[in-house]
Amino acid sequence: MKIFYNRLGFTVLLYREIHRFFKVFIQTIFAPLLSNILYLAVFGGVLKTREVGIEGVNYLHFLVPGLTTMGALMAAFQNPSFSLISQKFQGTIQDINSYPISDVEKSLAYILGGTFRGLLVGSLTYIATVPFVGFGIKNIPLFIFSIILTSFIFASIGLICGLTLDNFEKMNFILAIVITPLSYLGGVFFEVSKLPGVLSHVGNINPIYPLVNITRYSYLGIAEGNILLHGILAFVFLSASFITSIILFRKGIGIKVR
Amino acid sequence: MLRIENISKIYKRGHKEALKNINLTIKEGEFTALLGQNGAGKTTLINILAGNVHKTEGKVIIGGYDLDKNPLETKKIMGIVPQEIGQDYIFTVEDMLRKQSGYFGIKNNDDYIDELLEALSLQDKRKSTTRQLSGGMKRRLLIAKALVHKPKLLILDEPTAGVDIELRHSMYKFLKKLHAEGTTIILTTHYIEEAENLCKRIIVIDHGEIIADEPKEKLMDIFSQEIDVRFEFDYDIDIEDFDFLNGYEPIVKNNRNLYIKVEKNNLSKLMKVITDKGLNFIDIDIKRPKLEDIYLNLIKS
Repeated sequence: MKIFYNRLGFTVLLYREIHRFFKVFIQTIFAPLLSNILYLAVFGGVLKTREVGIEGVNYLHFLVPGLTTMGALMAAFQNPSFSLISQKFQGTIQDINSYPISDVEKSLAYILGGTFRGLLVGSLTYIATVPFVGFGIKNIPLFIFSIILTSFIFASIGLICGLTLDNFEKMNFILAIVITPLSYLGGVFFEVSKLPGVLSHVGNINPIYPLVNITRYSYLGIAEGNILLHGILAFVFLSASFITSIILFRKGIGIKVR
Repeated sequence: MLRIENISKIYKRGHKEALKNINLTIKEGEFTALLGQNGAGKTTLINILAGNVHKTEGKVIIGGYDLDKNPLETKKIMGIVPQEIGQDYIFTVEDMLRKQSGYFGIKNNDDYIDELLEALSLQDKRKSTTRQLSGGMKRRLLIAKALVHKPKLLILDEPTAGVDIELRHSMYKFLKKLHAEGTTIILTTHYIEEAENLCKRIIVIDHGEIIADEPKEKLMDIFSQEIDVRFEFDYDIDIEDFDFLNGYEPIVKNNRNLYIKVEKNNLSKLMKVITDKGLNFIDIDIKRPKLEDIYLNLIKS
């Protein structure tokens, strides 16, 4: 079977995924942006006087790349996952089986739709922090690349969840019990090494940890841990999530009946 | 246009055998009805063609393409109107049909979309979201969605369920037009008169097997060996006057109508008996069984 078959079909499906979240921009863009600004105001205000973050770095500066990454990954995860669950809820999920678009194209359309939303929310989150901390990114291309990388990985994970889960309750459960705690334990608000006991080692298996650190490195020029190792781990998470999402699509998990 | 060879389906969940060794060939330009009770296997068969259900065994060729080897090519040939009304609530009717065209690789399809909206009486709803549509409108939108890419094979799974009589008739007209333009159509329905009016070929599925597959006329002919004949008189009659017709189960209704059941081959013999007796009837009505009776007979047997 062809990997790329219908370029226009792919483009329209990608456009649909982007058009869909713009139609409900208050929930999909404005709400996460507002909550990230609140995080910055509350956490930044409370914690800037404590010994958190990297030594010698203003806590607000420490927090900005963390919030940007968290904003991007949450938005990227939610786009394909909620799109697919909505289609299951509306009874239109099997429409996707009727399109002459290859499985790779379909997976990419959903993932890139999520990646775009992640990049948008991540970028807007960063822009919203500028009045608080001023503009100052050490490596702009790496910063943008890192937001795109984060969004792509979490859009792939979102696609996997959208295919395998069958209702909003389960999706919200994953968000509340897995994704949000992983964000808190992934170095968004404080260094993972400062977490108590076993939690300080969770970072090594947490896909958010290397991504936050790559963004932080691009923003500050320094980050917790070994940046090369973070890069390798990010690549592993990227490959694993993307390949898994394509395999699930090809097998028709959640969209075809066996 | 469509060849189905030895298709079987056993659902993994519940181990239900939904289809048993189905073989079927549909030629280009046919208008076929697929009849069967709920759970007979009609929707499973359609879902296999649509790629929504994995078949357990067998082979499907659509427009010359093998469903397993060239699934994407088969999708361009087919348009499927699903049984369940599912609609995206975010986009407008127009948006949805434009996107649907795009998924099939068609650019600038507005003229045909306009044509479809008009034919399906949805032109006033092009800017409405599906939340604002009635059940019948949503069904017609499903038909429009299935047609935007001008499929050669249109499969409709109970398209008129819940649609009022007037709209149903306008849909019949539309389907006849599509068929006249060369579209091959397969229709599943619970309205037997729909199949009787529209289709040239009738396939009946029961318990996952094809139990009848004949041209409509032939099927009706096979099952119309016994016909009902009504004689109307312009004077009152009594059943006792017709003892000579005992073998034909005569019944008198409304004092002036005589009903007789007769084997088709014996119709001329009956007429001779009646005329030999010098009975002066003023009207005669020969009633062939309706497809509905035939269908019920088939299902019962």
